[in-house]
Amino acid sequence: MNLKKINNKGIAMSFNWIFAILAGGFILFLAIFSAGKFIRTSEQVIYSETAASLISLFDPLETGLASGKAHEINFKKKSKLFFECNENLNPPFGKQTISFSEQTFGEVYGEKGEEVSIKNKYIFSDRVVEGDKIYAFSKPLFIPFKITDLNIVTSQDQNYCFYDAPEYVKEDLEGLNMKNIIFVNETSKCKGISICFGSKANCEIKIFEDEKYVIKKSYGKRVYYVGELIYGAIFSDPETYECNIKRIKVKFDELAKIYLDKISIIERKDCKSNIGDKLSKLLGKIEDSRGLIELYEAAEDINSINRDAKSGCQLYYNGDFE
Amino acid sequence: MKIENKKNELRIQILKNLKRFLEPSCLKKAELRIQEMAFMLLAVFLFFVLIGLFILTIVYTNIHDTASQIAEDRTLSSLTSLADTPEMSCVGSKSNCIDGDKLINLVGKNIYGEFWPYSSLKVIKFSGFNKNEKEIIECKKENYPECDVFYIYDKKVKNERAISSFATMCRKEFENDYTYDKCEIVKIIAGTKLVNENEKQN
Repeated sequence: MNLKKINNKGIAMSFNWIFAILAGGFILFLAIFSAGKFIRTSEQVIYSETAASLISLFDPLETGLASGKAHEINFKKKSKLFFECNENLNPPFGKQTISFSEQTFGEVYGEKGEEVSIKNKYIFSDRVVEGDKIYAFSKPLFIPFKITDLNIVTSQDQNYCFYDAPEYVKEDLEGLNMKNIIFVNETSKCKGISICFGSKANCEIKIFEDEKYVIKKSYGKRVYYVGELIYGAIFSDPETYECNIKRIKVKFDELAKIYLDKISIIERKDCKSNIGDKLSKLLGKIEDSRGLIELYEAAEDINSINRDAKSGCQLYYNGDFE
Repeated sequence: MKIENKKNELRIQILKNLKRFLEPSCLKKAELRIQEMAFMLLAVFLFFVLIGLFILTIVYTNIHDTASQIAEDRTLSSLTSLADTPEMSCVGSKSNCIDGDKLINLVGKNIYGEFWPYSSLKVIKFSGFNKNEKEIIECKKENYPECDVFYIYDKKVKNERAISSFATMCRKEFENDYTYDKCEIVKIIAGTKLVNENEKQN
């Protein structure tokens, strides 16, 4: 009788325990899973908010009448900015996206946040920019009228060593006071990405000024440049560069249409312009950056006509175009 | 041998009265305990689910507010430099100056709605500052420059907040065989689409 009692009690207890353990375990699992999910989601929300806020930081870089602007972006922790470019999305202008991630525990980065669209900026950078301080500078692009500002983004952790840089490049970049851009002379040394003008050996980035192209050793692909696009070609990866060139060409076309319409408006005010035909011939897509060279040559021709226009009847102003 | 026989008898009894043997009072008690515990666990579980939902609702509302705030900040920061963009900037070296002869060609160009971060964009000339909607004259190529407002584009969003900024607007004028720039003050009004939960559901 005693044994039965013990056995009965034993059976009852063990079933209760099993039930409690199973149900408790399930609830605990759900709680931990939800907490983990909640933390990850919150992290993603913060990263997405940061990326969205970062876009506003590029607005003060609009050059207006200036020849260039620069500023620094400081992060509390080491962070990564991810840039993507797609000329086919958001027609006709294309778009870039930015997403953000920062170090969480140790040197591990959290999962990157949502991609935030940048439609009215042209950012030239590597696809991933990493560091706790980011340098951004802008340069206006004239072909022959101002098309846009080129925004160049680099990391403090990455030095760029310029060898035998021509005077105009030195003037342009030294004026921006970027600490990670170093002009190497015979007495100084530099650790970082080597950028050479001409055919100097063992350089990561080579610039051929006469042929107007830049070649990067790690990519092995030529990208062509005109004017201030030299900085875009140096500081961004070839894929981003080519994508932005196509986006810039679309912007050129839309601006050209505005100028073509303006010609008919100012004709009412006794201002005749001979630019129209030449400008309308330049409309249309370009295959890649090589197409820029031809565009630039035609732009020089248009510019000389605009410069010689009757006083007060110039179609556009471009202080920096030569 | 006797004990063995008794055991066999008991087994037979159990088999005969199986139902009675399977429903002892102690098992009913255990069932009740299990039910009590199940209900308790369910109640605790539901309580925490409700708390979780409550927190999520607050967080979700905050996300909407933050998204709207970021969008507004973006509108404000870009609006201050809008007049200096190549689409609008004046011919001469003037800062914060809109070229009216370019602006009239931007009217109705909806593609710029996919370029600038505004839900709507319009420029009101000084002549239209104190006019009501019925009196105001919309600028078109046909009536330019005798008009009051340039509607660049309007995405017609339901929930929008407008931010304005002032700039100079210059256009070419011809008088006494002389072409000159005629300038006036204008107000640029840009709308920001506010992220709203109700709107999203619609």
